[in-house]
Amino acid sequence: MVATTRRQVAALLGGLAVVAVLAGCAGPPGLAAAPSATGADLAIDGPASVRIGDDVRPITDRPEPVLPVTVTSHDGVPVTVSSVDRIVAVDLYGTIGEIVFGLGLGDRMVGRDSSTGFAAASAVPVVTSGGHDLNAEAVLDLNPTVVLTDTSIGPIEVQQQLRSAGVPVVFLDPTRTLDGVPGQIRAVAAALGVPADGDRLVERVGGEIAAAAAAAPDGTAPRIAFLYVRGSAGVYLMAGPGSGADAMIRAVGAVDVGTDIGLTKPFVPITSEALIAAQPDVLLVMTHGLESVGGVDGLLRIPGIAQTPAGTHRRVLDVDDTQLLNFGPRVGEMITALATALYGRS
Amino acid sequence: MRTRSAILLPLLGVGLVAVAVVAAGSGQVGVPPAEVVGAFFRGLGIDLGPMPTHPQGYNALWAVRFPRVALAIVVGACLALAGAMLQGVFGNPLAEPAVVGVSSGAAVGACAVIVAGISVLGSWTVAVAAFVGGLAATAVVYALSRSDGRTEVVTLVLTGIAVNAFSFGCIAFLIFVADPQAREQIVFWQLGSLNGTTWPAVYAVLPLTAAGAFIAVAVARRLDLLALGEGPARHLGVNVERLRLVVVLAVALLVASGVAFTGIVGFVGLVVPHVVRMVAGPAHALLLPASALGGALVLLAADLLARTAVENAELPLGMLTSLVGGPFFFWLLRRTRSRQGGWA
Repeated sequence: MVATTRRQVAALLGGLAVVAVLAGCAGPPGLAAAPSATGADLAIDGPASVRIGDDVRPITDRPEPVLPVTVTSHDGVPVTVSSVDRIVAVDLYGTIGEIVFGLGLGDRMVGRDSSTGFAAASAVPVVTSGGHDLNAEAVLDLNPTVVLTDTSIGPIEVQQQLRSAGVPVVFLDPTRTLDGVPGQIRAVAAALGVPADGDRLVERVGGEIAAAAAAAPDGTAPRIAFLYVRGSAGVYLMAGPGSGADAMIRAVGAVDVGTDIGLTKPFVPITSEALIAAQPDVLLVMTHGLESVGGVDGLLRIPGIAQTPAGTHRRVLDVDDTQLLNFGPRVGEMITALATALYGRS
Repeated sequence: MRTRSAILLPLLGVGLVAVAVVAAGSGQVGVPPAEVVGAFFRGLGIDLGPMPTHPQGYNALWAVRFPRVALAIVVGACLALAGAMLQGVFGNPLAEPAVVGVSSGAAVGACAVIVAGISVLGSWTVAVAAFVGGLAATAVVYALSRSDGRTEVVTLVLTGIAVNAFSFGCIAFLIFVADPQAREQIVFWQLGSLNGTTWPAVYAVLPLTAAGAFIAVAVARRLDLLALGEGPARHLGVNVERLRLVVVLAVALLVASGVAFTGIVGFVGLVVPHVVRMVAGPAHALLLPASALGGALVLLAADLLARTAVENAELPLGMLTSLVGGPFFFWLLRRTRSRQGGWA
């Protein structure tokens, strides 16, 4: 009994200590937060949505595929593509479909995934159910001449079934990184017999990325945290190294908070206290994720968020769920849009 | 009763073939029944009946639809046969494969490799881990409930509950440490699905099913004697302890191989034997094969529903069997109670 009481007292004292630290750190809501070194450089003042145009600009209007081509699929198997008249492009992020449209071959797409959601692709039938599940029958029904896919979508048996049904199935690299964008575009272009168009698309995207990076002002870099929030069940993960969000944040000249506080995995469940300690200047979230927690007001009710500089200034950037991490040909536009939202100029 | 049971097996067999033809013809790539039969025989090298008119019809049938139909039949038979044997050996209407821990053990095995990202055996890693996990959990349940060379039925059931609870704790932990993508994979594995079935999966499950069915035939008469009670059965020369061990082993083999490729599919093992028993009576010589056929029929129909009920979406198979099986079981319970005042 005595021991219990003593423990309770200790816990109480510990709690008080935490409160005292918190008060010292962030100050009570309503007062100015601990001054951020970069506050002056940031144009963002309050919540904003980062949006890019709803269309993929094709690199050419009249692509002329040279076929047949034999490429080495990412799983090591040589695959010969002899017609690109009926293309099915499916992956988790919608990257491959976007590249096909970027190469000007969008009018030959007969099947897409649910993430390939821009206006020009909306008329193409979706062959995935529930986002992740590929359906062999839906693909076969389209009688495709080539299927471009990767292991981010599955089950892998479905792609094997397509192959055993005699359809050329080209696997691509399933990792999505900023550095991987040129390779990804070139691989798709090679499989579709338009390697020169691929090179030109890579060049265009590279120029856009460089221009966006140049927009970042000199001085201390702002600290941005990407939070994956979903629903009211208190699921929130912070992105760390390898998440893709880290590369996007660095691309606009900012510091990725997840990497900075020493996270070791791409997405880590994070506690309120760790979030407060991390002190992000800006929060980056997915649009639908933000809606699912009840908008910016709902987000601020999650313990810890209101106590960060981002929370006190309501500096919350939301970005379309399918666009931030798909690393397709619009990645340059995405980075430009991010930079514009942050710094007010591009 | 006698005529009913005499025509039961042929009836189930014919029904199974009919549903199989319909199931093989239904889906996004529509193929009429006559063309299904034609494509089936063409695949076996026999020219009989028309070929599918859809350009990918033949490929869709042989690469996607036929293996799926075959696995549905095999797994359904496995689950129902296992349930019937367990109910017989436990003399308990509550017994279903999950009682001996095999389903939850399989789930732990599958979740563990999904979370750890192990793929030493390629796309078969999860299936093999599930199979091993199921067998291991059953072995633990049996070993823990055995004392002085005997296993009490009640102890066995209670041990199963304890092992199940522990397994669910493990699964909860694995879900906790998993990254979002693995978490999603775990959730969907536990819902069960036959999407992406390939022929090698069918070939892998088939011999284990055959072994289980062979054991079932061998023990059918002794299960009848056991229904008289443990004492009388022993006096009639049945080695009750060995019978129990053999049946538990057979159930573990049947269910572990069944769920390995499909994930958890609930209620088939519980409900089908009960329904068959109401029609065919309790004699195992008929109950066991009829349950196997009935289970195959139920799972085939459930899978047909799962992939055609909603346009361009795949409903979880385990969800369907539980959604339909649960209320049906309840209705069965009420009916039996009003007629006989309880379970026969």
